[in-house]
Amino acid sequence: MIENEFNRRDFLKVLGWGGAAVAVSGCGFTSVQDGVENVVSYVEANEYMIPGIGVYFNSTCAQCDAACGITGKVREGRVLKLEGNAASSINRGRLCGLGQAGVQAHYNPDRVTEPRTGKGEKLDWEKALGQVKEKLTGVSGDEIAFLTGNLSGHLKVLLGNYMDALGSKNHFVYDAVAPAVMRASNKKAYGNEMPALRLDKAKVIVSFGADFLGSWVSPVNFSQQYAQFRKGVNNGGRGVLVQIEPKMTLTGANADRWIPANPGTEGVLALGLINALGAAGVSIPSDIAASVSAYGVERVSKDTGVSAEQIQKLAAVLKERSPSLVIAGGGAEGYAHGSQNAAAVALLNQVLGNVGKTVEAPSVVPFPQLAPTAGGTAGLKAFNDGLAAGKFKVVFTLGANPVYSAPAFMKLADNLKKAAFKVALADAIDETAAQADLVLPLDSAMESWGTVVAEYQAGDAHIGIQQPLMERLYDNTRSAGDILLSLVKQQKADDYKAFEDYYAYLRGAVVQAKGSLGGAGMDDDEFWSTVLSSGMVKTGNASSSLRTSASAVTLPAAAVADAAFPLRLLPYVQPSMRDGRHANLPWLQESPDPLTTIVWDSWVEMHPKTAAKLGIVEGDIVEVTSKSGSIKAQAYIFPGIHPDAVSVPFGNGHTELGRYAKGVGANVFQMLDPVFDQETGELAINETHVKVSKTGKRVIVVKEEGAAGGSQAGKKIAGRLASNNVDLSKEV
Amino acid sequence: MSVSNLLQNWSAVRHTHPVGDAPHAEYKWAMAIDLDACTGCNACSVACYAENNLPAVGKDKFEHGQQMHWMRIERYWDEDGRDMPDQGAQFLPMMCQHCEAAPCETVCPVGATNHTADGLNSQVYNRCVGSRYCSANCPFKVRYFNWYSYPDQEISWPSPMEQQLNPDVTVRTKGVMEKCTFCVQRLTVAKHNARNEGRLVQDGEVQTACQQACPTSAISFGNLVDPASKVAKQWKAQQVELAVDKQAKDEGDDSHEVGEHHSTTKLRGYRIFEELRAYPSVMYLERVRESAV
Ligand code: SF4
Ligand code: SF4
Ligand code: SF4
Repeated sequence: MIENEFNRRDFLKVLGWGGAAVAVSGCGFTSVQDGVENVVSYVEANEYMIPGIGVYFNSTCAQCDAACGITGKVREGRVLKLEGNAASSINRGRLCGLGQAGVQAHYNPDRVTEPRTGKGEKLDWEKALGQVKEKLTGVSGDEIAFLTGNLSGHLKVLLGNYMDALGSKNHFVYDAVAPAVMRASNKKAYGNEMPALRLDKAKVIVSFGADFLGSWVSPVNFSQQYAQFRKGVNNGGRGVLVQIEPKMTLTGANADRWIPANPGTEGVLALGLINALGAAGVSIPSDIAASVSAYGVERVSKDTGVSAEQIQKLAAVLKERSPSLVIAGGGAEGYAHGSQNAAAVALLNQVLGNVGKTVEAPSVVPFPQLAPTAGGTAGLKAFNDGLAAGKFKVVFTLGANPVYSAPAFMKLADNLKKAAFKVALADAIDETAAQADLVLPLDSAMESWGTVVAEYQAGDAHIGIQQPLMERLYDNTRSAGDILLSLVKQQKADDYKAFEDYYAYLRGAVVQAKGSLGGAGMDDDEFWSTVLSSGMVKTGNASSSLRTSASAVTLPAAAVADAAFPLRLLPYVQPSMRDGRHANLPWLQESPDPLTTIVWDSWVEMHPKTAAKLGIVEGDIVEVTSKSGSIKAQAYIFPGIHPDAVSVPFGNGHTELGRYAKGVGANVFQMLDPVFDQETGELAINETHVKVSKTGKRVIVVKEEGAAGGSQAGKKIAGRLASNNVDLSKEV
Repeated sequence: MSVSNLLQNWSAVRHTHPVGDAPHAEYKWAMAIDLDACTGCNACSVACYAENNLPAVGKDKFEHGQQMHWMRIERYWDEDGRDMPDQGAQFLPMMCQHCEAAPCETVCPVGATNHTADGLNSQVYNRCVGSRYCSANCPFKVRYFNWYSYPDQEISWPSPMEQQLNPDVTVRTKGVMEKCTFCVQRLTVAKHNARNEGRLVQDGEVQTACQQACPTSAISFGNLVDPASKVAKQWKAQQVELAVDKQAKDEGDDSHEVGEHHSTTKLRGYRIFEELRAYPSVMYLERVRESAV
């Protein structure tokens, strides 16, 4: 695909350029003249590469697990910009800011470029891999552990084979900000961990703390659906969004009604709504009705802090407008009773008859061996328990930075020292790689081959293909697939000898299955080039189904407040920073947080009333202390938070990870209290209680918001129309 | 355009817009942004960094108001004195409005910022002398000045980050003003392609970077002269006209003030600061809020 058909060659000749960058926009200096960039010579240019003309390659975004399809614009052998791949049913040509910044992960100046020892000595690959082999000799499978982030596709297959070859069952999957409780509760309620959500078909969405427009599961897909839901394309009129969460997320900021229910009472509110619906004449199975009979409006209002009138209004709207969609997200699941909260929310969906209408059986890739293994914090805990017990002699990490993101109470950094040999597969020296005995430098996502299966498939199930968009920037980095292939060859040379590298392995694997991947009748080369040019393989959907049986939910009694720690800490998963792995991308550091507009720092969000009580003003450096730790950060007075809570974003406070991340802000992971969801064992991230004190220092909060602090100063700048039941689908 | 040419054709270059005597011929680029779809996610802003070689400036310079984001998301709260913003926040993507009668243009002492034939407010970097009058006179505060030579700043493009720079877009030098161009480099390519084929650019053929990234498709962009373009249809349906300073929607409402607008017309389209008669090329569609819940 070539971006413009007019004869650029002539144009370039006239200007006296050959293979150089020309500023079509005309005036000023080109970056080449400025010496900012080099003219790349093309000794052996591919036929389709015309200097000055962009070529586009499809691949898969690796910035989060949503696995959106991307199209990279490549000029003169450099990848310049990513767009969404229009053919991907996940993102349909769109991309989030985090995805856009994928090129900065690639060109990051702080990438690790050579294999190195813990002391920083450079090694060649042969020596580095030789060390691994040597350290594994005489070590039993039980003494080897591999901690990874979520994995899918052939990388997962290879890792599985490697662990089998080593005789180890210790592959732990860790995602610090995963919707792990929701998965488990979905499995129970619907028989499926990740049903398809049809936001576009819902007339009302009630989200209990799911930031689906920001950081939750598949935000680009949900944002598109949200636009249709607002427009009234498939739901017969503009949909209404109600967000229930004590800390306003991006989704809450877009709600028609944002309801800051008391933290942890999401389940109570859900059961209260079921009760209110029953009272309003919605038919509810008698056992369920009986189980919620204790949740009368008054009691629910008292527990949740939501007015009785509001609860009635909400129940009325839910009754009147069907189908609706109720979602439980991080805001509801981060408690000791997170599973029950999520179950109560799922029950509300069932009572409303949404299952099968807006909660659908998902699209599933019919290759279970490639399906993602998605983890949460339970994986980290198991890994850490093993370390603490001194069980592991050799540990590997890939796509996870536990030294940064494990709470201090786990003492993970200390426990890690008990492992004699630690290997980090990393693209930059993060906190975990800094403690490793061997660092194996990874290719960027723009340099690697891979297959990715999204956990949340939308529409056509497919396997995302990741392909290099340009040559390696550094000779001595390798893709995770290549490293794993070399490692597994150390154990089982014969089985893998046909594959020179991971590319050969991947191509072999995909081509071999062409018959079931829509390539029957094509020859191998033809099929493979079709796969590469589309950046994905449509697999067809495996059959899947949902269960609709509802069962009663019991909630625990409300916890008693601790006078020493009067406020609740509600950490915020920022859409661009997530678990902190992207803190080294300057575009994202400089991209204001949508809610507070703060850049390049952490902050402590506090309701104006709470701040007034404590005598805190914007910019005061405050100390937030829990039983397990403390952080210091600037205070930001923020109306979108429950007065009994404070919020600090995850993601900053790195002590490593390069120039853009190191020393910026505070790490809130480390002060979390050891409270776990009782059913799944996931860390309950909203269960930390804190006190806040002033340190006496004050700074100017660096933010986008102007002096007027979010006021339009009486002018009509951002317009708003108050209207009920509008239908925007008739608009152009 | 040379200075002598500029002086000779002063009236043509500096005629007032919008004008009846020289309406836009083939193209008039314009935008519509649906605030009910926009979620404030910032994807557009980051996409603009990637496309247009915008430097990250770092915390200190940001503190001094020297950030260079051509596209920014403004966030507003309701101002009705409630404790809790229980109807959410208001987000507003803000970039150069490509005013037809641009206040920035008339104050430039060297004619570095001009109206183009296809209706853009252009910025000629190598004519700009850095007086910054334009920025002072822009009602929307969307002009960004190069206080530093960013290629020399350690933070912006340390090697190998410079390899990401878009060769179709100039890296600006110290002392010049810059702002949103409606991705003129993309428009140029599309116009060339069309011209070579003896036709006009068709709707959808060219997208701005922000529009292309936007996960909710809140931004539409196109040629207002082409009645078949989505943007022209949107403007027409919302009865927003380029060359008037009072739109159908504003009938009977002289306030131009913030607050809930209870539309009797069912129209959502408006331009910001209409009363200043800058005649912006960007129409916004009001965010809708239901109170039934
Ligand atoms: S949602 Fe995730 S996968 Fe999709 S573009 Fe954003 S970062 Fe990439
Ligand atoms: S990308 Fe779209 S939804 Fe996001 S802030 Fe920009 S205009 Fe709004
Ligand atoms: S928005 Fe500002 S910079 Fe853009 S044309 Fe109008 S006055 Fe000039």
